[in-house]
Amino acid sequence: MMLEITNIHKSFGNNEILKGVDLQIDKGDVVVILGPSGSGKTTLLRCINFLEKADQGHAIFGDIDVNLKTASKKQIHEIRQKVAFVFQNYNLFNNKTALENVTEGLIIGRKVAKDEAIEIGKKALDKVGLAEKYHAYPSELSGGQQQRVGIARAVALNPDIILFDEPTSALDPELVGEVLTVMKNIANEGTTMLVVTHEMSFAKDVANRVIFMDAGVVVEEGTPKDIFVNPKEERTKKFLKRVLPEDYIFYI
Amino acid sequence: MSEGLNYQFLVDTFFVALSGVPIALIITIVSLLIALPLGFLLALTRINRIPVLNRFAQIYVSFVRGTPVIIQIFIIYSSVPLLLASIFEKYNINMNVYDVNPIWYAFIVFSLNTTAILIEVFRSALSTVSKGQLEAAYSVGLTNVQAFRRIIIPQTLVVALPNICTATVNLIKATSLGYAMSLQEITLRAKVAANVGYNYVEAYIDIFLVYLILCSLVEYLFKLYEKRLRRYKAVNV
Ligand SMILES: Nc1ncnc2c1ncn2[C@@H]1O[C@H](COP(=O)(O)OP(=O)(O)O)[C@@H](O)[C@H]1O
Ligand SMILES: [Mg+2]
Repeated sequence: MMLEITNIHKSFGNNEILKGVDLQIDKGDVVVILGPSGSGKTTLLRCINFLEKADQGHAIFGDIDVNLKTASKKQIHEIRQKVAFVFQNYNLFNNKTALENVTEGLIIGRKVAKDEAIEIGKKALDKVGLAEKYHAYPSELSGGQQQRVGIARAVALNPDIILFDEPTSALDPELVGEVLTVMKNIANEGTTMLVVTHEMSFAKDVANRVIFMDAGVVVEEGTPKDIFVNPKEERTKKFLKRVLPEDYIFYI
Repeated sequence: MSEGLNYQFLVDTFFVALSGVPIALIITIVSLLIALPLGFLLALTRINRIPVLNRFAQIYVSFVRGTPVIIQIFIIYSSVPLLLASIFEKYNINMNVYDVNPIWYAFIVFSLNTTAILIEVFRSALSTVSKGQLEAAYSVGLTNVQAFRRIIIPQTLVVALPNICTATVNLIKATSLGYAMSLQEITLRAKVAANVGYNYVEAYIDIFLVYLILCSLVEYLFKLYEKRLRRYKAVNV
């Protein structure tokens, strides 16, 4: 098991957002989390990467075993070396070029030699189809290109797992395809991924496991076929009915 | 006045006024060296709503902004010597408080004053740099200090620079109030020279010119620096 999370709880004020979520991810898994907006998907990913401190919960990242509430600075730093994050709003460093965005974590965070980091960074940008844009600043890139830089920045760190939080939902519809293609490619290379998305085609074609979350709990999980063709829970059925076209079932 | 301007005096006094420039600049530089980091840190406490400090910074800013600089000078210049005198007495330090060079009071007044102004400048500049970039920096393994030094501060500076320039120019101009503390700066020197022959118009013209040249030069230097910092074209902030 590459990542095992047990019993995450998280509240904001009196509002309990995560009510005891468990999660297991194996090496090479592509796990998609589905769920209505406000169900706690983003909060779950943020707690895994310590951008938000869980109120309770336990995690095993490979050989690191931590309490998500009381993890030390050192443990957090170690875990962030294993976990990369792709944000909904890209969150590129606006004062850095595409290449610098990708190499920043390598050179400063990981102390990789500069020449080597630049090699790795260029390869990562080539992989996401941005070989022409090494020296462009974020303000000179389209949303789709910025998100591909965001993905290259995660890939370059060679993490054990990449967390994606709705990576295409801030994009104009015509730019969604290029980002999904890049994600498909890195999934096919065996990258372990945990992806929150509303792109059902990605869940169906790329994921080997789908988790349906609602109101802070995992309602149901299984293979894409389990979830899309034979959902067991009423809440799952209702959600799918809302997000899938009427005759979707025939495409599976 | 019927004799017109005394040109010889005008030229001589220009150089007298000019000789006050180093003092004005030293006060400006020392005040900025103190106020820039302090203002930035206090702006952070405002943005992150750090309990007590946030409130303190807020009240501090409203006190300084709600009072004239000349009154701040009077308060520091009259109260600090009293404070010092009692400290000297208590610890048996054999020193006369009236021997203290007024430049020290100027450092205090103008640092405190500029800090308040820069808190507001940095607060609004910081709010233009998205919190997401800080989170992204953490997620690629940067420490808090690294993230601020490499990502947040450079972008904050670009946004804040025009306002820092304004604050600096205002600070230079405000040092002219140093005459109230018998500080040997531009205004006082020229006025003293004018006292002899009542050539006030000439002296004021000289003072006017010296500040104008000094401030224009400083603005120009800021423009150059801004151009250098702005390489990445922060259009999407
Ligand atoms: N920092 C925060 N402070 C207060 N409430 C928050 C915060 N972050 C998220 N929430 C609330 O938590 C709930 C779940 O949010 P989120 O995890 O973003 O859901 P999802 O990603 O599934 O749409 C939402 O109702 C949101 O308003
Ligand atoms: Mg979300």
